[in-house]
Amino acid sequence: MAKDLSRYAGRRRKNWIILSLSMFATAIGLFFLGAIMFALLTEGIAAIRPSLFTEMTPAPGSDGGLLNAIYGSAVMTVFGTVVGTPIGILVGTYIAEYSRGNKLGQAIQFINDVLLSAPSIIVGLFVYELLVVPMGHFSAWAGGTTLAILVIPVVTRTTVDMLALVPNALREAAAALGTPKWRITVSVCYRAARQGMLTGIMLAVARISGETAPLLFTVLSNQFWSMDMNRPIANLPVVISNFALSPYPDWQRLAWGGALLITVAILCLNIAARTLASFGSAKQ
Amino acid sequence: MHEELSATVVDIPSSSTPRLRGPQDLLDGLFRGATLFFGLFILLILGGIGLSLVVGSSEALRTFGLGFLWTETWNPATEVFGALVPIYGTIVTSIIAMVVGVPLSFGVAVFLTELCPPMLKRPLSIAIELLAGIPSIIYGIWGLFVFAPFLQAHVQPFLIGTLGHVPLIGALFGGPPFGIGILTAGLILAIMVLPFISSIMRDVFETVPPMLRESAYGLGCTTWEVVWRIVLPYTKVGVTGGIMLGLGRAMGETMAVTFVIGNAHRITTSLMAPGTTISSALANEFTEASRGLYTSSLITLGLILFIITFFVLAAAKYMLIRMQRQAGT
Amino acid sequence: MPTNSSSAALTGTPTPAPAALAGTPSVAEPALAGNPVEKIQIKDLRFYYKKFEALKTINLSLADKKVTAFIGPSGCGKSTLLRILNRMYALYPEQRAEGQVLVDGVNILDPKVDLNLLRAKIGMVFQKPTPFPMSIFDNIAFGINLYEDLPRAELEDRVEQALRKAALWTEVKDKLKQSGLGLSGGQQQRLCIARAIAVKPEILLLDEPCSALDPISTQKIEELISELKTDYCIVIVTHSMQQAARSSDYTAFMYLGELIEFNDTETVFTNPQNKRTEDYITGRFG
Repeated sequence: MAKDLSRYAGRRRKNWIILSLSMFATAIGLFFLGAIMFALLTEGIAAIRPSLFTEMTPAPGSDGGLLNAIYGSAVMTVFGTVVGTPIGILVGTYIAEYSRGNKLGQAIQFINDVLLSAPSIIVGLFVYELLVVPMGHFSAWAGGTTLAILVIPVVTRTTVDMLALVPNALREAAAALGTPKWRITVSVCYRAARQGMLTGIMLAVARISGETAPLLFTVLSNQFWSMDMNRPIANLPVVISNFALSPYPDWQRLAWGGALLITVAILCLNIAARTLASFGSAKQ
Repeated sequence: MHEELSATVVDIPSSSTPRLRGPQDLLDGLFRGATLFFGLFILLILGGIGLSLVVGSSEALRTFGLGFLWTETWNPATEVFGALVPIYGTIVTSIIAMVVGVPLSFGVAVFLTELCPPMLKRPLSIAIELLAGIPSIIYGIWGLFVFAPFLQAHVQPFLIGTLGHVPLIGALFGGPPFGIGILTAGLILAIMVLPFISSIMRDVFETVPPMLRESAYGLGCTTWEVVWRIVLPYTKVGVTGGIMLGLGRAMGETMAVTFVIGNAHRITTSLMAPGTTISSALANEFTEASRGLYTSSLITLGLILFIITFFVLAAAKYMLIRMQRQAGT
Repeated sequence: MPTNSSSAALTGTPTPAPAALAGTPSVAEPALAGNPVEKIQIKDLRFYYKKFEALKTINLSLADKKVTAFIGPSGCGKSTLLRILNRMYALYPEQRAEGQVLVDGVNILDPKVDLNLLRAKIGMVFQKPTPFPMSIFDNIAFGINLYEDLPRAELEDRVEQALRKAALWTEVKDKLKQSGLGLSGGQQQRLCIARAIAVKPEILLLDEPCSALDPISTQKIEELISELKTDYCIVIVTHSMQQAARSSDYTAFMYLGELIEFNDTETVFTNPQNKRTEDYITGRFG
């Protein structure tokens, strides 16, 4: 009996140690989240004033804001979302409703998921070869296209997952009324899955808002205000990147300010998306 | 579907013959065609990416041949390029990210599935997932301005002082504490992949049938024993898939690495020293390179990265699919 | 005009038991004058899931303005048979049917038949209530709008009629704009029935409509069925023999994909011709 007890004590100790380590690991994760947010807030808050939103990116050493960068990012994000979302929904619909798990559907889903996690800089290279080289110059169109390509796999994935949750009985009930197939998908399935799909779109927007690398060689940036989609346009990630690496304190301060802006926007989108998801499931 | 409609539509006779409003066959066909078209479009995108990379790298491959892969030189002036240093950097930073990140992710997953009080579960999981939402560039500037100086001032001297003297691995931790470098980049990558891997692990742990867990507890196993002996073996395929997914992401990470790796095209034994990875080389140099061999060499780097990550991600996906089949979802 | 078969004999295989139906009292109704009209004739029907023969040569006729029940143990093929009647199986490529199913003389298994139009004439209610994720009003209006372009006032009338017929109007008339998902299980099922009859079908297929409901809702729906049968040919699949005995005029007993016995309900339950029928009814298996 004594041997058993001491062995058991050993097991209990081991259990306790390892579980404490796992709690420690979680604490580490949370610590870094807090550290990053803390740094963003303390460094970035200095830059948050009205001029941030009203003035353009300045020359080194002078004061200014991020208006042109905010505009450029907004424009390209909207373009990327507006173009990528319908495509993603249609691809997801093909996989979920029309392919019936055939080889083509499986291949498309597989490739889609690979694209989902693929390095975004590679997509940037692709758009560079596709658009920038033939056009001869960087442009907001190229940047927007890159973002669209990044949006598609996210929306496709969510669409497939959400449509899979729609019970088959609902489809059959619509079919039993004599509803044509496309109408079943649009009027019944999309409607039933709309909450989840909206969440997916929000997460896609959050994802592309912070993308920097591919924009580096598709849209570059622009020190001045520009609304020309055919030219480089200022955008937050590239501006932050350039300013942060510069030796000018003014620019660095603006970089932190921009970083704070982006992060807050993305975190709000993420939290909103999750609350929407849980609100929807609680209602039903 | 075996529904077929022909010109003469046969219908059951009845007092009122309804007709569907609108050109339904046309709409049905159009809609289906659109979904198929864009489905193929996805395949086209991937093919297009591969093709453009191959085309763009042809010049460099013609000039250097396969030796490009193990040439250490990278000299824009003399136009001699080699991929060894970036490949080395990509692999070593990813290894560091995995060595540090996987145990951490595992700890987080175990905590959230086994230990966490139910009330805290949701907010804590959301918090960990917010880490995944923070963009790469934010990690980059935080790494450059906060983390690297901290490492340089406190952690690296400590490592040099202790591990630097250990016989075999000492050389890894030798040299001056640069702050920015391969080790720092690897550590930041570890933090970045933590939420991905841990969330996949959590999902996968939750597929274990409760009855399996309960039978183990019923035998008097401790929580850890249940995880190590029952949950992990049951989910090992999915866990491996999750780890590989994290690896794929770590290899492709750009901005965070670019900011803290120091962009030095040389291989040093010390992990503290600066280096470069494929993605950071691309980010740093692509816009400076004039068209020609320089650009082509950079695109070749991109091709190499594409091939490596494609295989890692494909393997990960394959394992996760197997896991799903096993779990019956 | 629907075809009127001269002989009222309704046969079932493998033991043909011709029964004169004129004047035979069913369990639920007093004697009917005249011969019951055949609405659906099933001839040599075989059904396959991939290579597996799920239904083996079914021959059966279903009467208009009557309720026919399909009973049998799990897996006997009664739901499968029901779902052939509106070709619901066509949604799944690995399922196929051979033989003939004549509705008013037209073989609906013919590939030339327009499935959407067919299903507009045949309504179906499923085991679990399946309200669409829309308001109650829109649920009913959905089917109507597919086929008819009605002015608003007329549409509202049709919706009200359907809800009244389904005995749901008084309960929902003040909340037509609310989501159908907010109703109780029994109400949702009546909503689905209202939705099915709103498009004025001729045949109603009910696949174990009460299995997910409590006894009170079940009773309401059974009352509904006996009222509805004056207008429709109703076919109901049920797991409950008591329900079949209560609600139907004719009963078909199936076992392992075969039709074992078919007759008016009273005969099936009080004087079954086949031993297996008797065993099932008396509870020796099932």
